[in-house]
Amino acid sequence: MSFRTKVLLSITATVVIAVWIVAAVVSTLVTRSFERSDAQRTSALVAQFRREFDRRGAEVARRVEAVASSDAIERIAVNLSGAQPDANQYFDQAQALAREQSLSFLEIVGPGGRIISSAEWPARFGYQEAWLAEAVDWNSAGAFLKREELADGSALGLITVRAVKAGDRTLYVAGGLQLDKEFLDSLPVAEGMRIQLYRNFEPLPPPESLGSKLAAALVQEVRQQPHELTRTDPGASITAIPLFGRDHGLLAILLVENSRAELASLKTYIQGTAWAVGAAGVLLGLILSLWTASRVTRPLRELAGSVREVAGGNWNARAAVESRDEVGQLARDFNQMTEQLAEQRDRMIQAERVAAWRELARRLAHELKNPLFPLQITVENLQRARQASPEQFEEVFRESTTTLLAELDNLKTIIGRFSDFAKMPAPHLEPADLNQMVRDVVKLFEAQVRAPGRAPVEIVFDAGESVDSIRADPEQIRRALRNLVLNALDAMPKGGTLTIRTQSLNGAGSRKVAVEVSDTGEGLTPEECQRLFTPYYTTKQHGTGLGLAIVQSVVSDHKGTITVHSQPGQGTTFRIELNA
Amino acid sequence: MRLRAWAWLALTSLPPLVVWPATRPRYGGTLAVDLSAAFNTLDPAELPAMLSPSIAETLVRINARGEIEPCLAVSWQREAEGKRWRFSLRPRVVFHDGETLNALNTGPLLLAVLKKTYPDVTVTSGGQTIVIQSERALPDLLPQLADSRAAIVRKTETNGLIGTGPFRVASWEPNRRLTLAAFEDYWGGRPFLDSVVINMGPARATADLFDIPFAAARRILPETVRIWSSQPRELLALIASDVQPAAWQALALAIDRAPLVNVLAQRRGEAAFGLLPQWLSGYAFLFQSSPDAARARQLVAPLRLAALTLAYPSNDSFARTVADRIALNARDAGINLQPAPAANGNVRLIRWQLGSADAATELARLAAMLGTSDRAAALDLAKPETLYEAERAMLDSNRILPLLYLPSLYGLAPRVHIRETSPKASALTPRLENLWVDP
Repeated sequence: MSFRTKVLLSITATVVIAVWIVAAVVSTLVTRSFERSDAQRTSALVAQFRREFDRRGAEVARRVEAVASSDAIERIAVNLSGAQPDANQYFDQAQALAREQSLSFLEIVGPGGRIISSAEWPARFGYQEAWLAEAVDWNSAGAFLKREELADGSALGLITVRAVKAGDRTLYVAGGLQLDKEFLDSLPVAEGMRIQLYRNFEPLPPPESLGSKLAAALVQEVRQQPHELTRTDPGASITAIPLFGRDHGLLAILLVENSRAELASLKTYIQGTAWAVGAAGVLLGLILSLWTASRVTRPLRELAGSVREVAGGNWNARAAVESRDEVGQLARDFNQMTEQLAEQRDRMIQAERVAAWRELARRLAHELKNPLFPLQITVENLQRARQASPEQFEEVFRESTTTLLAELDNLKTIIGRFSDFAKMPAPHLEPADLNQMVRDVVKLFEAQVRAPGRAPVEIVFDAGESVDSIRADPEQIRRALRNLVLNALDAMPKGGTLTIRTQSLNGAGSRKVAVEVSDTGEGLTPEECQRLFTPYYTTKQHGTGLGLAIVQSVVSDHKGTITVHSQPGQGTTFRIELNA
Repeated sequence: MRLRAWAWLALTSLPPLVVWPATRPRYGGTLAVDLSAAFNTLDPAELPAMLSPSIAETLVRINARGEIEPCLAVSWQREAEGKRWRFSLRPRVVFHDGETLNALNTGPLLLAVLKKTYPDVTVTSGGQTIVIQSERALPDLLPQLADSRAAIVRKTETNGLIGTGPFRVASWEPNRRLTLAAFEDYWGGRPFLDSVVINMGPARATADLFDIPFAAARRILPETVRIWSSQPRELLALIASDVQPAAWQALALAIDRAPLVNVLAQRRGEAAFGLLPQWLSGYAFLFQSSPDAARARQLVAPLRLAALTLAYPSNDSFARTVADRIALNARDAGINLQPAPAANGNVRLIRWQLGSADAATELARLAAMLGTSDRAAALDLAKPETLYEAERAMLDSNRILPLLYLPSLYGLAPRVHIRETSPKASALTPRLENLWVDP
């Protein structure tokens, strides 16, 4: 991921998170504010309901008292207190009285609780209203809620009872108003609020008739445990207030619903604003990232370019220093570091040259000293033979000249090797079969490994399948392989197995081949592995230290790589990879 | 104090003397009548029962005890096993236009009426004798002839009505007012009243005579108004249209008729357990039963009844109240009966006007209404035991459930007096010719 992308993502994430946090905080605050407002409105409405309930209760009491003190009730009382009471003639009296006092319900109940006349259900005369005959001081009792039975069902009434003396008997007047839609409509309901009255004696209505599933669930909950409850969903906040009757039974549930549409609208607005601000933030982030890239990442990219140049071998590459900030300081440090590295490299090259010359001198001295010493001995033997045994001088001379000539050949050979290494020609690339080249080399050494007196070495050639022909100089490659095989045989003086393995390395966009030469000799230490390809370095007593240097030179001239893997006691494997 | 008590006792004993005083009737004066039901025809069959016999008379009539008595015919003979009937017309009877009643002008009128009931009937007229003959017996001829549809009347070109009754039509405004004038040449003697003005529409308590329909709410009447009550002449009953027999029997057991009589009818009616009232059949007491809500619930429990509708006549507040009470009784028995002002329902509440004072005729009408006339016709309804058997069968058919008998009620102003003539006088309506008024 580029620095510019990181900057863009960072700025965008920062803006979005900030906007989200602000939006969440604002939304939470607004929600809380609305909930407080809802609670206040609900409380106000409930208080208003209770006040209206009390006011209507007082009004009902006043009207029922007016009925109780009317001439009609007095006539009934007089009749009932007589010797031959006859209440039958008053069966329709309650309807007229209820109309006069605008009462929804009115029952005139005789001693013993038997209905004389019923306004709400005229046919119900003669039936019992036993609860009226209970020992209650009805004339000081207030209004209460009561379920009223009607011909076509039941209704909820706000009822007051007054007792009228009829001689030594008591006549009861029970009247009231129906708590119906008209009652609910009379309550001051703020905009966005809605009130409903669920009568507990009715079957639980379907959610759609209550307006929502929440209301239905709330009713169900309050029916099971009658207490005031408030529940909220995205659409509304509903408070359910249980209403009880005289016997503390749950008669109805008042549902006060506060619409949250306004809150939802505001939340939507906040969310929309947050999205807009977020989008603006992303855009701003994009602009800032571009600006930052132009002001911050360009020096960095230039610095990175300089680093790549240095890595590519251009030690003269320098980063432009355009600012005094951290990036400018970084460029200055880079330039300083590059200069120091160049100086160190030069010093190292000089040191390596000196070391190489010293090694060359040591090797030359060593290589030349070995044949020179026999030459000196031979010449000294000739001198001693001439002086001490002139008669044998001739014979000694012949032997000594033979030895001298052999040693001089040896010197010529040594000089020729050094000369060859110095004159490594450029490879002449042509299509070549790697497996065939390996077989040629193996064939060359077969006789050697089978020579009598030599420890047995088994040569195993594992030719890889589909190893394509490569473009290479076959002579140089054979030469490199010969050196590796020779090295491996030298590493196994006590015999072993020499394994040569070729394989194709076709990867994405490149075709390569590899050849591995493994021995089962003593192996090498890590230090030896590091210095293995250094010219004139050898672990053998009679080696020139040029074999592996020549191998590396060939591989390098073919744009290939050579690696060595070895552990003491486990043999050594050289791996050459070449472009096909 | 004792003197005042005696005076109070004397005064309370007076009303029967005042209401029907043995004083001599007074001739003259106009009687103002208010009738709640309007009518737009002077057809005797359509006229209120109180008016029809005062204008148009029949050959015979049925008295309050259900007996046939002479009217325009003074005597009759049943011949040939009831296939031929010979009637002797009352002499010196004239129509309101002065024409004398005789067999020649009566015969065609009778024939036209009787053909509707007996297609093969023939009427032979001669002098003051009319012979009615048929191929088959005519056992119910006399009740048929007593019906107002068999009134001997003629119509004028202006749709006026010319009969032989004690009053003639003086003026007529359909649906509004009918004025009757005393017929000076009435064969029974001139009526006491000079004229009778009948106003139609909502009955007012200010008239001399007015009908008092049964309504849900009691009507507040001036204390001076007396109430004249007829024999029960209306039956309130339930008709089953689509009710399981067990449910019907449960409903019959659930209904308590006492509150209907004592409260809703204010003791003006009678509990009906049979179809015909006691005064008409003489055996109605045999059908009496008591409500048994517990037994009704037992009958209903295994039925899994759906809600039933109880249809009652619309605009009839009394019927609605009765229906409400019936529904309440039914609910106590576990029957969901829903009253509704409609023409049809699972159960119908009907108000059946007794159109005849003859038990057999009335039962036949009821049988026709219930669709069981075939079975009734197979019986000789002239015998009380077969009449009872027929009525029992109709009740057991689970089609009809009697509730109440209601009388006709009329309010009488203090100035109105009724002359009791004979015990045979009709007790179904007050007879205008028997009324007289103070100045």
